[in-house]
Amino acid sequence: MTPVLLGLIGLALALPVPAALARTSLPLLVPRAGIVLWQSFALAAILAISGAALSTALWLVTHDQLTWWRIALHLTILGIGVLVWSRFWWAAWTVWRETQSRRRRQRHLVDLLGEADGMAPALRVLQEETPIAYCVPGMSSPRIVVSQGTISTLSAAEYAAVLEHERAHVRRRHDLVLEAFTVLHVAFPRFLRTDAPLVQSQVMVELLADDAARRSCGEAPVARALVALAGAPTPAGALGSGGAAGVRMSRLRDPDPRNPAASIAAYTISVVVLVAPTVLLAVPWMVHAWHTLTT
Amino acid sequence: MPRLGELERSVMNVLWDAAAPLTVREVLDGLGERDLAYTTIMTVLDRLGTKEMVRRERDGRAFRYAPALTRDAATSELLHAALDEAGTDRTAALVHFARTVDPAEAQALRAALDEIESRNSG
Repeated sequence: MTPVLLGLIGLALALPVPAALARTSLPLLVPRAGIVLWQSFALAAILAISGAALSTALWLVTHDQLTWWRIALHLTILGIGVLVWSRFWWAAWTVWRETQSRRRRQRHLVDLLGEADGMAPALRVLQEETPIAYCVPGMSSPRIVVSQGTISTLSAAEYAAVLEHERAHVRRRHDLVLEAFTVLHVAFPRFLRTDAPLVQSQVMVELLADDAARRSCGEAPVARALVALAGAPTPAGALGSGGAAGVRMSRLRDPDPRNPAASIAAYTISVVVLVAPTVLLAVPWMVHAWHTLTT
Repeated sequence: MPRLGELERSVMNVLWDAAAPLTVREVLDGLGERDLAYTTIMTVLDRLGTKEMVRRERDGRAFRYAPALTRDAATSELLHAALDEAGTDRTAALVHFARTVDPAEAQALRAALDEIESRNSG
Protein backbone atom coordinates (compact mmCIF):
# COMPACT_ATOMS: atom_id res chain seq x y z
CA MET A 1 0.00 0.00 0.00
CA THR A 2 2.85 2.39 0.76
CA PRO A 3 3.91 2.92 -2.88
CA VAL A 4 0.37 3.69 -3.99
CA LEU A 5 -0.25 6.14 -1.14
CA LEU A 6 3.06 7.91 -1.72
CA GLY A 7 2.34 8.06 -5.42
CA LEU A 8 -1.07 9.62 -4.76
CA ILE A 9 0.45 12.18 -2.40
CA GLY A 10 3.01 13.04 -5.06
CA LEU A 11 0.30 13.55 -7.67
CA ALA A 12 -1.85 15.60 -5.30
CA LEU A 13 1.10 17.87 -4.49
CA ALA A 14 1.81 18.31 -8.17
CA LEU A 15 -1.58 19.57 -9.32
CA PRO A 16 -4.66 20.04 -7.08
CA VAL A 17 -2.83 21.31 -4.00
CA PRO A 18 -0.86 24.05 -5.84
CA ALA A 19 -4.03 25.05 -7.69
CA ALA A 20 -5.82 25.46 -4.35
CA LEU A 21 -2.90 27.36 -2.84
CA ALA A 22 -2.80 29.70 -5.84
CA ARG A 23 -6.42 30.66 -5.21
CA THR A 24 -5.60 31.83 -1.70
CA SER A 25 -3.40 34.91 -1.56
CA LEU A 26 -1.33 33.47 1.29
CA PRO A 27 2.04 33.32 -0.55
CA LEU A 28 1.72 36.92 -1.73
CA LEU A 29 0.84 38.16 1.76
CA VAL A 30 4.11 36.80 3.15
CA PRO A 31 6.54 36.55 0.23
CA ARG A 32 9.48 35.08 2.14
CA ALA A 33 7.40 32.34 3.76
CA GLY A 34 5.50 31.98 0.49
CA ILE A 35 8.69 31.03 -1.35
CA VAL A 36 9.46 28.41 1.30
CA LEU A 37 5.89 27.12 1.10
CA TRP A 38 5.93 26.62 -2.68
CA GLN A 39 9.36 25.00 -2.59
CA SER A 40 8.33 22.65 0.20
CA PHE A 41 5.35 21.47 -1.87
CA ALA A 42 7.57 20.74 -4.83
CA LEU A 43 10.20 19.01 -2.71
CA ALA A 44 7.54 16.95 -0.92
CA ALA A 45 6.07 15.90 -4.28
CA ILE A 46 9.46 14.75 -5.54
CA LEU A 47 10.19 12.96 -2.25
CA ALA A 48 6.81 11.21 -2.29
CA ILE A 49 7.20 10.01 -5.86
CA SER A 50 10.78 8.86 -5.19
CA GLY A 51 9.56 7.10 -2.06
CA ALA A 52 6.89 5.34 -4.10
CA ALA A 53 9.49 4.17 -6.58
CA LEU A 54 11.87 3.01 -3.85
CA SER A 55 9.28 1.07 -1.88
CA THR A 56 8.14 -0.54 -5.11
CA ALA A 57 11.62 -1.71 -5.90
CA LEU A 58 11.88 -3.39 -2.51
CA TRP A 59 8.42 -4.94 -2.79
CA LEU A 60 9.30 -6.43 -6.17
CA VAL A 61 12.30 -8.29 -4.82
CA THR A 62 10.76 -9.41 -1.53
CA HIS A 63 7.14 -10.34 -2.20
CA ASP A 64 6.28 -14.06 -2.47
CA GLN A 65 3.22 -14.16 -4.70
CA LEU A 66 3.76 -12.11 -7.80
CA THR A 67 0.77 -11.63 -10.07
CA TRP A 68 1.20 -9.95 -13.45
CA TRP A 69 -0.98 -6.93 -12.67
CA ARG A 70 0.91 -6.18 -9.48
CA ILE A 71 4.18 -6.33 -11.32
CA ALA A 72 2.79 -4.12 -14.08
CA LEU A 73 1.42 -1.55 -11.62
CA HIS A 74 4.60 -1.39 -9.64
CA LEU A 75 6.84 -1.28 -12.67
CA THR A 76 4.80 1.74 -13.79
CA ILE A 77 5.32 3.50 -10.48
CA LEU A 78 9.01 2.64 -10.54
CA GLY A 79 9.26 4.04 -14.07
CA ILE A 80 7.57 7.26 -12.98
CA GLY A 81 10.09 7.60 -10.16
CA VAL A 82 13.03 7.26 -12.54
CA LEU A 83 11.37 9.66 -14.98
CA VAL A 84 10.77 12.29 -12.29
CA TRP A 85 14.41 12.31 -11.27
CA SER A 86 15.81 12.36 -14.76
CA ARG A 87 13.42 15.14 -15.82
CA PHE A 88 14.35 17.13 -12.75
CA TRP A 89 18.09 17.00 -13.35
CA TRP A 90 17.69 17.56 -17.08
CA ALA A 91 15.55 20.64 -16.39
CA ALA A 92 18.06 21.96 -13.84
CA TRP A 93 20.90 21.59 -16.34
CA THR A 94 19.12 23.18 -19.33
CA VAL A 95 17.66 26.08 -17.34
CA TRP A 96 21.02 26.83 -15.75
CA ARG A 97 22.88 26.70 -19.06
CA GLU A 98 20.38 28.81 -20.98
CA THR A 99 20.11 31.41 -18.23
CA GLN A 100 23.89 31.69 -17.96
CA SER A 101 24.37 32.17 -21.68
CA ARG A 102 21.60 34.77 -22.00
CA ARG A 103 22.97 36.71 -19.04
CA ARG A 104 26.52 36.57 -20.39
CA ARG A 105 25.39 37.94 -23.74
CA GLN A 106 23.34 40.65 -22.07
CA ARG A 107 26.32 41.62 -19.88
CA HIS A 108 28.64 41.87 -22.87
CA LEU A 109 26.19 44.10 -24.75
CA VAL A 110 25.47 46.27 -21.73
CA ASP A 111 29.17 46.73 -20.99
CA LEU A 112 29.84 47.90 -24.55
CA LEU A 113 26.76 50.10 -24.98
CA GLY A 114 26.15 51.37 -21.46
CA GLU A 115 28.14 53.99 -19.64
CA ALA A 116 29.68 52.91 -16.34
CA ASP A 117 28.88 55.09 -13.37
CA GLY A 118 31.85 55.98 -11.18
CA MET A 119 29.77 55.83 -8.00
CA ALA A 120 28.38 52.32 -8.43
CA PRO A 121 30.59 49.77 -10.17
CA ALA A 122 27.70 47.54 -11.26
CA LEU A 123 25.59 50.34 -12.73
CA ARG A 124 25.31 50.87 -16.51
CA VAL A 125 23.44 53.77 -18.07
CA LEU A 126 22.03 53.30 -21.59
CA GLN A 127 21.59 56.30 -23.92
CA GLU A 128 17.95 55.47 -24.50
CA GLU A 129 14.82 57.55 -24.05
CA THR A 130 12.53 54.63 -23.16
CA PRO A 131 12.47 54.32 -19.36
CA ILE A 132 14.10 50.95 -18.57
CA ALA A 133 15.33 49.54 -15.27
CA TYR A 134 16.42 45.97 -14.72
CA CYS A 135 19.25 43.91 -13.41
CA VAL A 136 21.35 41.16 -14.89
CA PRO A 137 21.79 39.08 -11.76
CA GLY A 138 24.40 36.43 -11.18
CA MET A 139 27.20 35.17 -9.01
CA SER A 140 29.99 36.98 -10.88
CA SER A 141 29.73 40.57 -12.05
CA PRO A 142 26.01 41.37 -11.80
CA ARG A 143 24.81 44.54 -13.56
CA ILE A 144 22.10 47.05 -12.83
CA VAL A 145 20.92 48.69 -16.04
CA VAL A 146 18.96 51.93 -16.34
CA SER A 147 18.31 54.13 -19.34
CA GLN A 148 18.77 57.88 -19.62
CA GLY A 149 14.98 57.98 -19.94
CA THR A 150 14.62 56.47 -16.47
CA ILE A 151 16.91 59.07 -14.94
CA SER A 152 15.11 61.98 -16.59
CA THR A 153 11.64 60.59 -15.76
CA LEU A 154 12.27 59.97 -12.05
CA SER A 155 13.08 62.34 -9.22
CA ALA A 156 16.29 61.76 -7.27
CA ALA A 157 14.41 59.99 -4.45
CA GLU A 158 12.51 57.74 -6.87
CA TYR A 159 15.69 56.89 -8.77
CA ALA A 160 17.39 55.97 -5.48
CA ALA A 161 14.44 53.71 -4.65
CA VAL A 162 14.71 51.93 -8.01
CA LEU A 163 18.45 51.35 -7.52
CA GLU A 164 17.84 50.07 -3.99
CA HIS A 165 15.16 47.70 -5.32
CA GLU A 166 17.52 46.31 -7.98
CA ARG A 167 20.40 46.06 -5.50
CA ALA A 168 18.16 43.96 -3.26
CA HIS A 169 17.54 41.55 -6.16
CA VAL A 170 21.27 41.25 -6.77
CA ARG A 171 22.38 41.08 -3.15
CA ARG A 172 19.76 38.61 -1.98
CA ARG A 173 20.25 36.37 -4.99
CA HIS A 174 16.60 36.49 -6.07
CA ASP A 175 17.81 35.01 -9.35
CA LEU A 176 18.41 31.72 -7.51
CA VAL A 177 14.82 31.73 -6.26
CA LEU A 178 13.52 32.38 -9.76
CA GLU A 179 15.79 29.71 -11.21
CA ALA A 180 14.61 27.14 -8.68
CA PHE A 181 10.98 27.86 -9.60
CA THR A 182 11.80 27.77 -13.30
CA VAL A 183 13.56 24.41 -12.96
CA LEU A 184 10.54 22.92 -11.19
CA HIS A 185 8.22 24.41 -13.78
CA VAL A 186 10.21 22.91 -16.63
CA ALA A 187 10.65 19.60 -14.80
CA PHE A 188 6.93 18.98 -14.27
CA PRO A 189 5.14 17.52 -17.31
CA ARG A 190 2.77 20.03 -18.90
CA PHE A 191 -0.42 18.12 -17.97
CA LEU A 192 0.73 17.81 -14.37
CA ARG A 193 1.46 21.41 -13.45
CA THR A 194 -0.03 24.83 -12.96
CA ASP A 195 1.67 28.12 -13.88
CA ALA A 196 0.79 29.53 -10.47
CA PRO A 197 4.05 28.82 -8.61
CA LEU A 198 6.24 30.33 -11.34
CA VAL A 199 4.02 33.39 -11.78
CA GLN A 200 3.77 33.92 -8.02
CA SER A 201 7.52 33.49 -7.54
CA GLN A 202 8.11 36.42 -9.90
CA VAL A 203 5.73 38.57 -7.88
CA MET A 204 7.16 37.43 -4.54
CA VAL A 205 10.74 38.48 -5.33
CA GLU A 206 9.44 41.88 -6.46
CA LEU A 207 7.60 42.25 -3.13
CA LEU A 208 10.78 41.37 -1.24
CA ALA A 209 12.85 43.89 -3.24
CA ASP A 210 10.16 46.54 -2.66
CA ASP A 211 10.33 45.81 1.07
CA ALA A 212 14.10 46.35 0.98
CA ALA A 213 13.81 49.59 -1.01
CA ARG A 214 11.08 50.79 1.32
CA ARG A 215 13.21 50.21 4.40
CA SER A 216 15.96 52.52 3.14
CA CYS A 217 13.95 55.02 1.06
CA GLY A 218 10.40 55.02 2.46
CA GLU A 219 7.31 53.70 0.68
CA ALA A 220 6.29 56.88 -1.19
CA PRO A 221 9.36 57.05 -3.52
CA VAL A 222 9.05 53.31 -4.30
CA ALA A 223 5.34 53.71 -5.09
CA ARG A 224 5.93 56.82 -7.23
CA ALA A 225 8.71 55.05 -9.18
CA LEU A 226 6.45 52.05 -9.70
CA VAL A 227 3.65 54.23 -11.09
CA ALA A 228 6.09 56.18 -13.29
CA LEU A 229 7.78 53.11 -14.78
CA ALA A 230 4.81 50.73 -14.99
CA GLY A 231 2.71 53.48 -16.57
CA ALA A 232 5.39 54.49 -19.07
CA PRO A 233 4.64 53.93 -22.74
CA THR A 234 6.77 51.22 -24.36
CA PRO A 235 7.52 50.69 -28.02
CA ALA A 236 5.89 47.84 -29.95
CA GLY A 237 2.93 47.57 -27.60
CA ALA A 238 4.77 45.36 -25.15
CA LEU A 239 2.44 44.80 -22.21
CA GLY A 240 3.55 42.77 -19.24
CA SER A 241 1.78 40.47 -16.87
CA GLY A 242 0.19 43.39 -15.12
CA GLY A 243 -0.96 41.68 -11.91
CA ALA A 244 2.39 42.19 -10.23
CA ALA A 245 2.22 46.00 -10.15
CA GLY A 246 -1.20 45.95 -8.48
CA VAL A 247 -0.11 43.47 -5.81
CA ARG A 248 3.06 45.47 -5.15
CA MET A 249 1.09 48.68 -4.86
CA SER A 250 -1.32 47.28 -2.30
CA ARG A 251 1.59 46.02 -0.23
CA LEU A 252 3.17 49.50 -0.38
CA ARG A 253 -0.16 50.98 0.66
CA ASP A 254 -0.21 48.79 3.75
CA PRO A 255 1.49 50.77 6.56
CA ASP A 256 2.74 47.54 8.13
CA PRO A 257 2.83 44.70 5.60
CA ARG A 258 4.38 42.22 8.02
CA ASN A 259 1.89 39.52 8.80
CA PRO A 260 3.28 37.25 11.52
CA ALA A 261 0.18 35.03 11.75
CA ALA A 262 0.17 34.29 8.02
CA SER A 263 3.95 33.75 8.14
CA ILE A 264 3.66 31.20 10.90
CA ALA A 265 0.80 29.49 9.07
CA ALA A 266 2.85 29.25 5.87
CA TYR A 267 5.95 27.92 7.64
CA THR A 268 3.83 25.41 9.59
CA ILE A 269 2.18 24.09 6.43
CA SER A 270 5.63 23.78 4.82
CA VAL A 271 6.97 21.68 7.67
CA VAL A 272 3.84 19.52 7.86
CA VAL A 273 3.83 18.87 4.11
CA LEU A 274 7.49 17.88 4.19
CA VAL A 275 7.43 15.86 7.41
CA ALA A 276 4.01 14.18 7.46
CA PRO A 277 4.51 11.78 4.52
CA THR A 278 7.95 10.92 5.86
CA VAL A 279 6.74 10.13 9.37
CA LEU A 280 3.42 8.52 8.49
CA LEU A 281 4.47 6.43 5.52
CA ALA A 282 8.20 6.33 4.98
CA VAL A 283 9.25 5.50 8.55
CA PRO A 284 6.82 2.55 9.00
CA TRP A 285 7.89 1.34 5.58
CA MET A 286 11.58 1.60 6.50
CA VAL A 287 10.95 -0.36 9.69
CA HIS A 288 9.09 -2.95 7.66
CA ALA A 289 11.83 -3.00 5.03
CA TRP A 290 14.45 -3.51 7.71
CA HIS A 291 12.57 -6.51 9.09
CA THR A 292 12.03 -7.99 5.64
CA LEU A 293 15.65 -7.68 4.67
CA THR A 294 17.13 -8.92 7.93
CA THR A 295 14.93 -11.97 8.50
CA MET B 1 45.77 53.31 -17.78
CA PRO B 2 42.00 52.82 -18.13
CA ARG B 3 40.35 49.65 -16.92
CA LEU B 4 39.99 46.75 -19.34
CA GLY B 5 36.20 47.10 -19.56
CA GLU B 6 36.38 50.79 -20.50
CA LEU B 7 39.10 49.98 -23.02
CA GLU B 8 36.86 47.36 -24.64
CA ARG B 9 34.17 50.01 -24.98
CA SER B 10 36.54 52.53 -26.56
CA VAL B 11 37.98 49.96 -28.97
CA MET B 12 34.48 48.90 -29.96
CA ASN B 13 33.54 52.52 -30.62
CA VAL B 14 36.59 52.97 -32.84
CA LEU B 15 35.60 49.87 -34.82
CA TRP B 16 31.98 50.99 -35.05
CA ASP B 17 32.97 54.44 -36.31
CA ALA B 18 35.36 53.02 -38.92
CA ALA B 19 34.15 52.49 -42.48
CA ALA B 20 36.25 49.36 -43.05
CA PRO B 21 37.99 46.66 -40.98
CA LEU B 22 41.01 48.04 -39.07
CA THR B 23 44.44 46.71 -38.18
CA VAL B 24 45.62 46.76 -34.57
CA ARG B 25 47.83 49.76 -35.40
CA GLU B 26 44.86 51.65 -36.85
CA VAL B 27 42.77 50.89 -33.77
CA LEU B 28 45.62 52.18 -31.60
CA ASP B 29 45.80 55.38 -33.66
CA GLY B 30 42.02 55.73 -33.53
CA LEU B 31 42.09 55.62 -29.73
CA GLY B 32 44.51 58.55 -29.75
CA GLU B 33 46.10 57.63 -26.44
CA ARG B 34 49.87 57.67 -26.32
CA ASP B 35 50.48 55.35 -23.38
CA LEU B 36 48.63 52.28 -24.67
CA ALA B 37 50.72 49.29 -25.73
CA TYR B 38 50.19 47.47 -29.01
CA THR B 39 49.87 44.17 -27.13
CA THR B 40 47.18 45.61 -24.85
CA ILE B 41 45.03 46.41 -27.87
CA MET B 42 45.63 42.91 -29.20
CA THR B 43 44.48 41.46 -25.89
CA VAL B 44 41.36 43.64 -25.93
CA LEU B 45 40.53 42.65 -29.52
CA ASP B 46 41.03 39.01 -28.54
CA ARG B 47 38.64 39.37 -25.64
CA LEU B 48 36.07 41.06 -27.87
CA GLY B 49 36.49 38.18 -30.31
CA THR B 50 35.75 35.63 -27.58
CA LYS B 51 32.60 37.60 -26.74
CA GLU B 52 31.58 37.37 -30.40
CA MET B 53 31.57 41.13 -30.73
CA VAL B 54 34.49 41.38 -33.16
CA ARG B 55 35.36 39.44 -36.33
CA ARG B 56 38.95 38.91 -37.39
CA GLU B 57 39.89 38.60 -41.03
CA ARG B 58 43.27 37.91 -42.64
CA ASP B 59 44.66 40.61 -44.91
CA GLY B 60 48.00 39.51 -46.33
CA ARG B 61 50.35 39.03 -43.36
CA ALA B 62 48.25 41.08 -40.92
CA PHE B 63 44.82 40.71 -39.35
CA ARG B 64 42.04 43.21 -39.70
CA TYR B 65 39.23 43.58 -37.19
CA ALA B 66 35.60 44.52 -37.78
CA PRO B 67 32.55 44.65 -35.49
CA ALA B 68 30.54 41.41 -35.60
CA LEU B 69 27.36 43.50 -35.54
CA THR B 70 26.65 47.20 -36.08
CA ARG B 71 26.04 49.54 -33.18
CA ASP B 72 22.36 49.71 -34.13
CA ALA B 73 22.06 45.93 -34.28
CA ALA B 74 23.75 45.61 -30.87
CA THR B 75 21.43 48.25 -29.37
CA SER B 76 18.34 46.61 -30.77
CA GLU B 77 19.43 43.16 -29.59
CA LEU B 78 19.98 44.57 -26.10
CA LEU B 79 16.64 46.38 -26.03
CA HIS B 80 14.83 43.43 -27.52
CA ALA B 81 16.13 41.17 -24.75
CA ALA B 82 15.34 43.84 -22.17
CA LEU B 83 11.83 44.66 -23.37
CA ASP B 84 10.68 41.33 -24.73
CA GLU B 85 7.65 40.51 -22.63
CA ALA B 86 6.25 37.89 -24.98
CA GLY B 87 8.26 35.00 -23.57
CA THR B 88 7.61 36.23 -20.01
CA ASP B 89 11.35 35.67 -19.69
CA ARG B 90 10.86 32.06 -18.68
CA THR B 91 14.47 31.55 -17.70
CA ALA B 92 14.59 34.69 -15.57
CA ALA B 93 17.82 35.90 -17.15
CA LEU B 94 16.86 39.48 -16.31
CA VAL B 95 14.86 40.89 -13.44
CA HIS B 96 12.90 44.04 -14.26
CA PHE B 97 11.87 46.83 -11.98
CA ALA B 98 8.39 46.97 -13.46
CA ARG B 99 6.57 45.66 -16.48
CA THR B 100 4.34 48.08 -18.34
CA VAL B 101 0.64 47.85 -17.53
CA ASP B 102 -2.45 48.79 -19.51
CA PRO B 103 -4.08 52.24 -19.05
CA ALA B 104 -6.87 50.97 -16.76
CA GLU B 105 -4.38 49.40 -14.42
CA ALA B 106 -2.11 52.45 -14.55
CA GLN B 107 -5.15 54.44 -13.39
CA ALA B 108 -5.66 52.08 -10.44
CA LEU B 109 -1.97 52.36 -9.54
CA ARG B 110 -2.20 56.16 -9.51
CA ALA B 111 -5.23 56.04 -7.23
CA ALA B 112 -3.32 53.83 -4.80
CA LEU B 113 -0.34 56.20 -4.98
CA ASP B 114 -2.58 59.16 -4.08
CA GLU B 115 -3.62 57.30 -0.98
CA ILE B 116 0.00 56.72 0.07
CA GLU B 117 0.88 60.36 -0.62
CA SER B 118 -2.06 61.73 1.37
CA ARG B 119 -1.26 59.45 4.30
CA ASN B 120 2.36 60.62 4.32
CA SER B 121 1.49 64.30 4.15
CA GLY B 122 -1.39 64.01 6.61
